[in-house]
Amino acid sequence: MIFLNYFISGISLGSIYAIIALGYTMVYGIAKMLNFAHGDVIMVGGYVCFYAVSRYGLNPFLGVAIAMLVCTLLGIIVERLAYKPLRQAPSLAVLITAIGMSYFLQNTALLLWSSNPKVFPSVIGRGAFKLFDGKLSVSHVTVLTIATCLVIMVILSLFISKTRLGKAMRACSEDKGAAQLMGINVNATISMTFAIGSGLAAIAGALLCSAYPTLMPTTGSLPGIKAFTAAVFGGIGSVPGAFLGGLMLGVIEIFAKAYISSQLSDAVVFAVLIVVLLVKPAGLLGRAIQEKV
Amino acid sequence: MSDPVLKVENINVYYGSIHAIKGISFEVYEGEIVTLIGANGAGKSTTLNTISGLLHPATGSVSFLGESLAKVQPHKIVEKGLAQVPEGRRVFAQMTVQENLEMGAYTQTGGLAEDLDKVYTLFPRLKERMHQTAGTLSGGEQQMLAMGRALMSRPKLLMLDEPSMGLAPILVEQIFDIIADLHRTGATILLVEQNAQMALSIASRGYVMETGKIVTTGTGEELLASEAVRKAYLGG
Repeated sequence: MIFLNYFISGISLGSIYAIIALGYTMVYGIAKMLNFAHGDVIMVGGYVCFYAVSRYGLNPFLGVAIAMLVCTLLGIIVERLAYKPLRQAPSLAVLITAIGMSYFLQNTALLLWSSNPKVFPSVIGRGAFKLFDGKLSVSHVTVLTIATCLVIMVILSLFISKTRLGKAMRACSEDKGAAQLMGINVNATISMTFAIGSGLAAIAGALLCSAYPTLMPTTGSLPGIKAFTAAVFGGIGSVPGAFLGGLMLGVIEIFAKAYISSQLSDAVVFAVLIVVLLVKPAGLLGRAIQEKV
Repeated sequence: MSDPVLKVENINVYYGSIHAIKGISFEVYEGEIVTLIGANGAGKSTTLNTISGLLHPATGSVSFLGESLAKVQPHKIVEKGLAQVPEGRRVFAQMTVQENLEMGAYTQTGGLAEDLDKVYTLFPRLKERMHQTAGTLSGGEQQMLAMGRALMSRPKLLMLDEPSMGLAPILVEQIFDIIADLHRTGATILLVEQNAQMALSIASRGYVMETGKIVTTGTGEELLASEAVRKAYLGG
């Protein structure tokens, strides 16, 4: 039973990683860049949600909606100001800019909201579902997190495979030049990708802070890095890969904490990543490109 | 004659310090197949990419249906009815045949089913493979898909960049038959080719390019008969 408990915690943590990893993987798939500022968008989402709910007493769901709106705009603005001018630049320049943007967001948060940790309000209460005569207890936050992740996954998959815009995103990710020749506005499509990724980051921020209710300007860094790892683990550029990678990373991390050592859990996580990449360099669901020419 | 569909006037295009296109001018009139022939590196693809707005001329102008394309973004140019089938086909390999065609219709607001029908009638092979990913098609099928995809945008001018490249002779004939068919049904076509013999045999007019310049022009028959063209491009 305790095993099942750990497993559910792992899936819950992994769900948050998966939602964040979607932002990394979608942006990578289309803009071919690693947006290291993505983790800090989570933090901004957390703060917006915190102020909306704690200071202004808004309904938590309204708070999350406002956070999504703010993060979506933030994502579009960051892309427009920092990355779009570098579209033709070497990828190293873009990478360094993304790292710079990450620090910029963290320091702005430090100025605005100070380094004192804020205690995140319990968005949906601290209650729990009791199963098997109370032997298994699953908190409401956990259930909400897993359910949210599943809903996002289904909607996003349908969006990418069925809608006109989703197909345009896939076309851009394969060949931007050819996409332009189809009449697709590539810049608008990239912008839309950042918007979606950042909106999801806001949800991840609210969920993360509900599960671990301490909010600081650096709150987004480590989950950001881990979610990036999850995206690589699953195969960067692949949406199902981000989902799978996120869940697996969460489960491995919780199991490592429980059965090996809580101090070494991150080391175990990255060791597993290294092994996976040695065996499957493109990640679990990464595309091994094989096309007839 | 009426106004040309496409008018290229004295354009100069540079790649950094390389002067790739040196002041070329030509026109395409409605209902014509015009071909640009020339050896590898003569600047044919550069010319098409400049017309499509992917490259910008340093001087000179490109106008389509009487309107200058100087300030028009590439995706807007497609909307105006100018489609390009790029060199090397560039189909979306991980998308299905049908999705590729849908992408071709990206600028269209209606009539998708009808346009798909037309393309599938023109290329029955594509219909058989509509749910396959484009990466699994043979080279000839991919060329058909690239052409079908461009036709989905209901172009007023269809530009084809080296449609024969890398195809077996029998497939080359098949592709050129289709181009000739499209022409008979009223399409206006700008065809870029290294295969001068094939291109000139179906073209209304042709321009011969050499190192960024147009060196000769004439009707398809005139160029086929021309001594200079025979020597340079038709193997004597």
